[in-house]
Amino acid sequence: MSRLTWFLIPLILFLLLTVFLYNGLFSDPSARESSLIENEFPAFSLPDLADEAITHTNDIFDGQMTFVNVWGVWCVTCAIELPYLTELSQKGYRFVGLYYDQDLDPDFGSKTINRVRAEVIETTRRFGNPFAFNIFDVYRDTSLDLGVTGAPETFLVDPAGVIRLHHLGDINERVWTGKFLPVIEAIQREYPVLSQLSTEHQLTGLKQ
Amino acid sequence: MKIFQRVALLMLFLSLSHILPAFADDKAERAAPQGYAENYAFDDPEQRQVFIRLTKELRCPMCQNQNIADSDAMIAHDMRRKVYQLMQEGKSESDVVDFMKQRYGDFVYYQPPVNTVTIWLWLIPLLFIIVMSILFVVRRKSADETNIDEKLAKADAMLKDD
Repeated sequence: MSRLTWFLIPLILFLLLTVFLYNGLFSDPSARESSLIENEFPAFSLPDLADEAITHTNDIFDGQMTFVNVWGVWCVTCAIELPYLTELSQKGYRFVGLYYDQDLDPDFGSKTINRVRAEVIETTRRFGNPFAFNIFDVYRDTSLDLGVTGAPETFLVDPAGVIRLHHLGDINERVWTGKFLPVIEAIQREYPVLSQLSTEHQLTGLKQ
Repeated sequence: MKIFQRVALLMLFLSLSHILPAFADDKAERAAPQGYAENYAFDDPEQRQVFIRLTKELRCPMCQNQNIADSDAMIAHDMRRKVYQLMQEGKSESDVVDFMKQRYGDFVYYQPPVNTVTIWLWLIPLLFIIVMSILFVVRRKSADETNIDEKLAKADAMLKDD
């Protein structure tokens, strides 16, 4: 082998390593492929946060595109995204809260359900209320089934009850246009009835 | 060849230093039961060992470099409780791991699966050692030959000068 090859081999290896490590600088260590995409939303039967007499099941997804937002009043980022979510809900998008509170957990402390309700009303009054209703994940079993690691997280569920998108962190305009809109458009193409519905909602939303 | 003996020794040392801590860990595990495991009641001490092992091998999805045994995050509490619950239902160790993997992906288990992407973790060091040894031998041989030629030429030149 000539001198040139002996010079080029380490150089090329070094350059490849540089590219690899350089990419690593900008990779997000918390980014993970959700294992639930394209799967049905896990079966659940949970009470409504405001009224335990109401029980919600997977039927809530029937025929509508739904955004399930995992949140809690103790979560700072959730409060930050609430105004934007409210804006979106006024455009006709349907948000459902999956609420959990660590202070209700015997492992962490004790708080009465009435206090939680009062805090939820207070928070949504201050920052906006995008939610059609809130599902109360009492023992966080559904959150665990969903692979939730913290709050906020949002799941986009299509009219057949299949999870199409799982977003970790808050929703802002950049995330919405970059990540959500393409999937929303795909769902609307699959269910043409929906796009009419959403424009109707949009009109009523504007009137309000 | 002395150099080969040295390389062989070094490799032996490296492989031992990988194996020995694994034994040490195993013993420590048996000697000291973890505090949190005392919060859970098991009929069978064997079951408790399985529980401790599982919580050490499952990774907390929230606090990236901790297992769910070490972490105090809410999600780790929940996962420990779920592991216990599943074990009480009579699920096997691998069932519990599969349950968690289904929800949190391969990420959640500290033993990565061997597939076309991860196989390189094992292959690259091996390939590196093989390629380097071949290069080492080839280079050495050719270096020896040229050296001899050069030396002979030098010797000739010196003789001529004299």
